[in-house]
Amino acid sequence: MTAAVATRDDTGGRTALRGDAVLGGLMVAPIVVTMIALVIVPLGQTLWDSLHRINPMQPGTPFIGAANYARMFTDADAGRAWTNTLLYVAIAVTVETVMGILAAAVINQVQIGRRWLLAAVILPWALPGVVNSVIWLWIYQPGAGLLNGILTAAGLPFENHVWFNDRTSAILAVAVVHVWRMLPLTVVIVLAAMQSIPGDLYEAARIDGAKRPQMFFAITLPLIRSAVAVAVTNSTVAAFNIFDEPWVLAGASLDTRPILVQIYLETFQNLRFSYGMALSLVLTAASLLVSLVFVLRLYRTTRFE
Amino acid sequence: MMKPSPTVRIVTAAGVVVLLIWSLGPIYWTLASAMTPSADFSARPIHFFPQNFTFDHFLRLLGINVERIGGVLVWQQFRAALFNSVVTSLAATMVCIAISALGGYAFARLDFPGKRVVFLVVVATLAIPGYAVLIPLYRIMIGLNLIDTYLGITLIYVSAYLPLTLWLMRSVFDSLPVALEEAAQLDGAGRLRIFFSIVLPLVGPGLTAAAILTFLGAWGQYLVPLVFSPSATKPLTVLIPEFVTKNFIDYGLITASGTIAITVPALVVIFLNRYLVTGLLAGSVK
Repeated sequence: MTAAVATRDDTGGRTALRGDAVLGGLMVAPIVVTMIALVIVPLGQTLWDSLHRINPMQPGTPFIGAANYARMFTDADAGRAWTNTLLYVAIAVTVETVMGILAAAVINQVQIGRRWLLAAVILPWALPGVVNSVIWLWIYQPGAGLLNGILTAAGLPFENHVWFNDRTSAILAVAVVHVWRMLPLTVVIVLAAMQSIPGDLYEAARIDGAKRPQMFFAITLPLIRSAVAVAVTNSTVAAFNIFDEPWVLAGASLDTRPILVQIYLETFQNLRFSYGMALSLVLTAASLLVSLVFVLRLYRTTRFE
Repeated sequence: MMKPSPTVRIVTAAGVVVLLIWSLGPIYWTLASAMTPSADFSARPIHFFPQNFTFDHFLRLLGINVERIGGVLVWQQFRAALFNSVVTSLAATMVCIAISALGGYAFARLDFPGKRVVFLVVVATLAIPGYAVLIPLYRIMIGLNLIDTYLGITLIYVSAYLPLTLWLMRSVFDSLPVALEEAAQLDGAGRLRIFFSIVLPLVGPGLTAAAILTFLGAWGQYLVPLVFSPSATKPLTVLIPEFVTKNFIDYGLITASGTIAITVPALVVIFLNRYLVTGLLAGSVK
C-alpha cells in the first residue's frame, strides 16, 4: 500500500499551478466530508462509547472503563459465538485456499471458452449473500430438498433428514454456503498470478524432464505464494464477518450463531449498544490481526527460499 | 507451448465439469424450482428436470390473478422492494463513481497540502468493517431523521464503497501518460476542461470496473438495510428472507423472487466480466 502511495508526487512539478491547491481541495472535499462524517467520527464514537454503559432502557451513560470488554470473558453466548466464528474461519480458509488453487489450475489449462468458464465460476460471488442463503435453504430442505433427494436416490437413508438438528452438520452446512460464495474470489486472484508466470519456465522444466506434478510444486506454487497470501487474507476477513448465511439458514440458533449475529442480537434486541460496540471492535481487531499473521508468514517463507 | 497429454486433458475436463456443476447447479435448481408447481416439490424419487412447467409462482409474486397470499399483498411489497433495490444501488453507484473520479484525479495529478495523509487515511478505512461504525451511524441517522430514507441508505453505501473506488480510480489515472495533459495545458486548456474532455473519456474501463463493484456490493447488502431500511425503503435482500416464516415456507415464492434477484448480477457477470475481473484484482491486492 505504502509503495503505491509514495509513487507519483512531483510529476506535476513543472505543470503545477497555484490554482492546483484550491482545485485539488475542492475535488477531494466530497470524499473528505463523507469519510469524516460517516466513518471516522462514528469510529471514534464507537471507541469512546465502548467505555461507557449505553442502553436506551437504562438512564444515563456512565463511564465504566473496560467493563464491556471484561464482560466478554464471562459471557457464555459470546464465547459460543466466538467458537463458531473460528470454526467458520478455519473451514472456509482451508477449503477456499485448497479448492481455489485447484480450480484456478484447471481453468488455467482450458484454452477454449475460458472467459465463459470464469464467468460461470464468478457468478455465485456476484449474487446477494441472502439470495445464496435462501438457494441453499431450499437445497437443504428436509422433505423436498435437492440434497436429501440426491442422497435418497443414491440409496442412502436420508429421507427427511434435518441438517440443522445437529451442531456439526449445521456448521458444515453454513460453511458450504459461505465457501460457495467466497471461493470465486480466491480463484480470480490465484488465476491471475498463474497467468503471469512466464511459459519459458515450464518449457525449461520440461526439457529437464520434469513431470506435471513436479512443475506444479516446484514452479507454480512458489510463484503464486504472494497471491495466495492476498487470497487467504480476503477469505479470513470474509469468514470473520459471516452474517447472512447463518442468519438466513438458522436464525439466532446458538449452534450456528457467529459473532456478528451475536453483536446484532445484543445491539438491536437486548439494546446493549455499548457492549455491541466493544464486541465489534474486538472482532475488527481479531480479523485484522489474523490476516496480518498470514501475510507476514507467507511473505517470509517466500523470501527465505 | 506444451502439448497437453491425454491424462491432463481428461483431468482438466473432469475438473471443468465439477466446477460447472458446483457453481451453476444451485442456480439451475433455483430456476427449475421457480417453474415447478408446488405440488411437485416433494415428489420422490427427485426429478432433476421439472416434469410440469408453470409460471404460477411468478404470477403470484407479480400479483397477476392473485391479490393476496396468506392475507398479505405480496406483489405490492415485492414491486416496492425491487424498485428500492434498483434506486439505492444505482444512486450509490453514481454518487460513488462521480466523487471518486474527481477525487482520484486530484490525488493522482494535483498538488495540494495534506494530499498523502488524506489519501492514506481514506484508503486505510478499507480495513474497517461496516459493523464497527454501525451503531453510531444508527444514532446519527436517527438524529438526522434519515432512517428509512433513500438519502440515508445511499450515504451509507457511498461511505462503504468510496475507499475502494477511490483506490481504483487513482490507480487508473496514475497509469495514464501525463504527456497528453501537458500538451493540452500548453494549448491553454484549464485543468477542469482537461479532466472532462481529455482524461475522463480515457478511463471508461476503470470507471466501469469501479461501478460494477459498487453496484453489486450495494445490490447484495443485507445487514445495513436490515437496520437502516426497515420498511418504506426495504430492498429485495431484506424482503426475500421474510418469505421464510416459522410455520410455513413458500418455496415457490422464494425461488421465484430469488430468480429475479439473481438476474441483475448475472447479467453484469455475463456481459461485463472482463471489467469485473480487473476490478476484483485491483480491489483485492490492496
